[in-house]
Amino acid sequence: MDWHLLGISFITVFLAEIGDKSQFAAIALSGSSKSPRAVFFGTVTALLLASLLGVLAGEGVSVLFPARMLKAIAAIGFALIAVRLLWPNANSSEESEEAL
Amino acid sequence: MKLSTLPPSLPTLERPIEPAKSAQMRQSYQKPAASKLEGLPWKAFSSTFLTIFLAEMGDKTQIATLLMSAESQSPGLVFAGAAAALIATSLLGVLLGRALATKFSPKTLDTAAGVCLLCVSAMLCWDVVHF
Repeated sequence: MDWHLLGISFITVFLAEIGDKSQFAAIALSGSSKSPRAVFFGTVTALLLASLLGVLAGEGVSVLFPARMLKAIAAIGFALIAVRLLWPNANSSEESEEAL
Repeated sequence: MKLSTLPPSLPTLERPIEPAKSAQMRQSYQKPAASKLEGLPWKAFSSTFLTIFLAEMGDKTQIATLLMSAESQSPGLVFAGAAAALIATSLLGVLLGRALATKFSPKTLDTAAGVCLLCVSAMLCWDVVHF
């Protein structure tokens, strides 16, 4: 059992998901719904299915490409996610425009 | 002779009649439970499932799990870690929503939820255009 990998994937996903749009939606739906338990189970099922698809797609990719190239792609991917999260102006202005 | 000693204990035999009472109670108890089953939870479940599933497709969490499982040799562990994290965060979200429900009126919450979901759809539109 690789506890390191388990812990890393837990922490990464946990931090990525805090304040994310799906958590946002879960707060909104359970606040206005009469059955928060059903909202919880719906949320969990959707998230598990989505991450299962992600894991299966990742597994498929690892067969096709060498590890080094995948690490480079992973680095670029994580950098892109970080840049997207840290970009303050473009995100908020676009949101308020479209929400109106 | 012993039979004659029985009649005094007869009044206590009235007790077994109570199951009829409890059956009546059970009937009246089952009614709201049945209407609950056919009505609310499944609608809430399916609409939540669809909303969250659509919001999560191609999201940073999914990309992160994709990259981690591609990088590592054990996708099962990545899935287990991601699954635990997702359950924890959605539990936090639902608890937060319930806490808000005790503080604000349903009308306010409906408006807030509508605005929130509009924001989510705006975020998704932004993702589609810019990512």
